[in-house]
Amino acid sequence: MVSDQQNLLFTYYRSLNCYKGTQIKDVVIKPDAPNSLILDKHADYIAAYGSKKDDYEYTLSEYLRMSGIYWGLTVMDLMGQLDRMNQEEIIDFIKSCQHDCGGISASTGHDPHLLYTLSAVQILTLYDRVKAIDVDKVVDYVRGLQQEDGSFAGDKWGEIDTRFSFCAVATLALLGRLDAVDVGKAVEFVLSCMNFDGGFGCRPGSESHAGQIYCCTGFLSITGQLHQVNADLLGWWLCERQLPSGGLNGRPEKLPDVCYSWWVLAALKIIGRIHWIDKAKLRAFILACQDEETGGFADRPGDMVDPFHTLFGVAGLSLLGDEQIKPVNPVFCMPEDVLQRIGLHPDLLT
Amino acid sequence: MAESEEEVDVLVQRVVKDITNAFKRNPNIDEIGLIQCPEARYNRSPIVLVENKLGVESWCVKFLLPYVHNKLLLYRQRKQWQDREVLVDITCTLLLLNPDFTTAWNVRKELLQHGVLNPEKDLYLGKLALTKYPKSPETWIHRRWVLQRLHRECCPSPSDQKEQRGQAEAWANGNGPGHGERLQRALHEELRVCADAASRYPSNYNAWSHRIWVLQHMSQGSVKVLHDELSSTRLWVSMHVSDHSGFHYRQFLLKALLGELGQAHNGSQTESLHPPLDPRPAAQSNGEAGACEAGLTDDPHADTIPQLFREEMELCTDLIESYPGHETLWCHRRHVFYLWDRWQKLSQGTGSLSPAVTDSNALLSEVRDPCDELQASRAMDIDCVQDGSKHGGYTQDTKRLKRGPVSPWPGLLSEHAFISQVLGTRSTPEQGRFARAYRKWLDSVIGQ
Ligand SMILES: [Zn+2]
Repeated sequence: MVSDQQNLLFTYYRSLNCYKGTQIKDVVIKPDAPNSLILDKHADYIAAYGSKKDDYEYTLSEYLRMSGIYWGLTVMDLMGQLDRMNQEEIIDFIKSCQHDCGGISASTGHDPHLLYTLSAVQILTLYDRVKAIDVDKVVDYVRGLQQEDGSFAGDKWGEIDTRFSFCAVATLALLGRLDAVDVGKAVEFVLSCMNFDGGFGCRPGSESHAGQIYCCTGFLSITGQLHQVNADLLGWWLCERQLPSGGLNGRPEKLPDVCYSWWVLAALKIIGRIHWIDKAKLRAFILACQDEETGGFADRPGDMVDPFHTLFGVAGLSLLGDEQIKPVNPVFCMPEDVLQRIGLHPDLLT
Repeated sequence: MAESEEEVDVLVQRVVKDITNAFKRNPNIDEIGLIQCPEARYNRSPIVLVENKLGVESWCVKFLLPYVHNKLLLYRQRKQWQDREVLVDITCTLLLLNPDFTTAWNVRKELLQHGVLNPEKDLYLGKLALTKYPKSPETWIHRRWVLQRLHRECCPSPSDQKEQRGQAEAWANGNGPGHGERLQRALHEELRVCADAASRYPSNYNAWSHRIWVLQHMSQGSVKVLHDELSSTRLWVSMHVSDHSGFHYRQFLLKALLGELGQAHNGSQTESLHPPLDPRPAAQSNGEAGACEAGLTDDPHADTIPQLFREEMELCTDLIESYPGHETLWCHRRHVFYLWDRWQKLSQGTGSLSPAVTDSNALLSEVRDPCDELQASRAMDIDCVQDGSKHGGYTQDTKRLKRGPVSPWPGLLSEHAFISQVLGTRSTPEQGRFARAYRKWLDSVIGQ
């Protein structure tokens, strides 16, 4: 066991300087940070984002392009600016990403995956153009990914994660085809990932994580099983994510982040405990993450903006009741009016 | 600097070759990195090998990445054929620069299926990518696929229980020839990769949840591996008191040990740590050697589980007092006390499962059938927890205290005493806040 000892020593020396004192992990919002919503700038930022296609950064993020488009379009729709985006180009792009197996990939030439299949179906729903793709094949694809224990693989290679359970039922619910899979078994698997703190992890035994909690509560909402959640216990854990700056983190002793603020907030909304956090402080934190020059939101005040955090910043403000923004649905992260149109009303606890 | 398209092509092909050659020249490269260097230097490769570190000068990345990226996508769309060896090189360069490019990992999966790559070589690329991108979800996902494949290669017929049992034994003893040894090497290497990635990024969810997966799928319920992990992460968490994921891993280990020790003690042959790959060491299943390792053969050792909990609570107390104001430590205390409380209640046969916890993966301390439950409570009667089992934590604690120097098993009384002590000491405002939250948690979750 000499090597283990060496390993331990190595870890020991490496970690000697890891301890950074007791200051609590949070940010300080400067007095001159933005404190009002600059929607016009955000719309300009998103509209311009897609035009820099030769950018090195654009190549780097191509592996998640379909989700990127979903983030951009959803935030534009929430701001009432969807018509500024090129609908036909986007629909053609999605068509080119559907594979023979029915699954949809992040971009042309990439491999299909449940994550991007959901993003594509969300985009098509925003545009009311679901019929542009082969819907039956999408349903077959999703059904084929369900495992014996009820879980879902993300693609044909078999990785299991509660995120994929959410993607599967969200995709099917948007297509009105939830009956295509074994919902009972699917619920059983998600519940097997519930922890003592009321939260959920990616697989049985995994640590609770705000992103996974969002997926699992969303999943239970879509499948009508929210009564299985211990809402008080989970609500407690979620509220403990709020830091003195007002921002929310995704796990204990992590920094606050706009995207985690959305996941925690949406989960609280789903389980009917959103009034347990300090809404005014959270609003101030989200507003401080805007970039007044370029438009867009960053993860934290002063960082670089991106479309991902821009969507979750705007969606978070919508859940907090900002009336300049369309009401957002906490389960699907899509405008309520869109879900109303297709007659989808996922459960929320009160 | 190269400008025209052809010049770029030539340049980039040379760089890809340089990377391949670097790996051939030094098979012990253990870290990759980007060297900040905005301008190319004449007649010099942008690939730098210093000792065991491979560096790429930053100026070439903006040519290199789009080139290998497009080349792979053309291949994927069947617009351009590539030799398998070229695909190995392209995906290697691509993934070192952008390890979340899922499709590139998938191409490597196919190369593995065709025998062009071997699992160990491919795991090595992922390990290097993790030195620069320790969170990269796609890298971890790909590793799980490769490890499952490696497992299948070593145990070709999962239905052949007899053969598997033999292999598992060889594996557990660490001296089996061939497959068993290969799997054991892979297990330990994987745990090292996890530890390294955990040290490179705080609260690295992907690294720690992978480590849990590894135990669930590769350790075959070995109590020794669980104990080794518990002792090897003890110092680590003590030096990383904010790392919630590291502490959660210890909670997982305790829970898994509860399950495994409970089984070994009862001599039952119930489910293993992870059912799909059931071949648990025979020794452990019939309650011999496996139980010996854990000190469980006879009743004098039957307090292994309470002892584990006492040690963990003591560690937690120690850290909370040394490093005040860390939410992670208080969360750890909640979980450990919760497990302990539930284990006690279940071993008394009076516990009911909280609706919050309905885990079905056999990792929890639930006694699995009424018969086991009886045995467990009998075992408890013989041992020292008996006071607690009849009169609840308070009595148990008082009696223990009277008995002298041995510190008491944790109980509600000692927890409240601990809180009062913390609140009585001048400390940070956060420490007070966390202590009060813990008290509220005890009152509403445990004491109900
Ligand atoms: Zn974020």
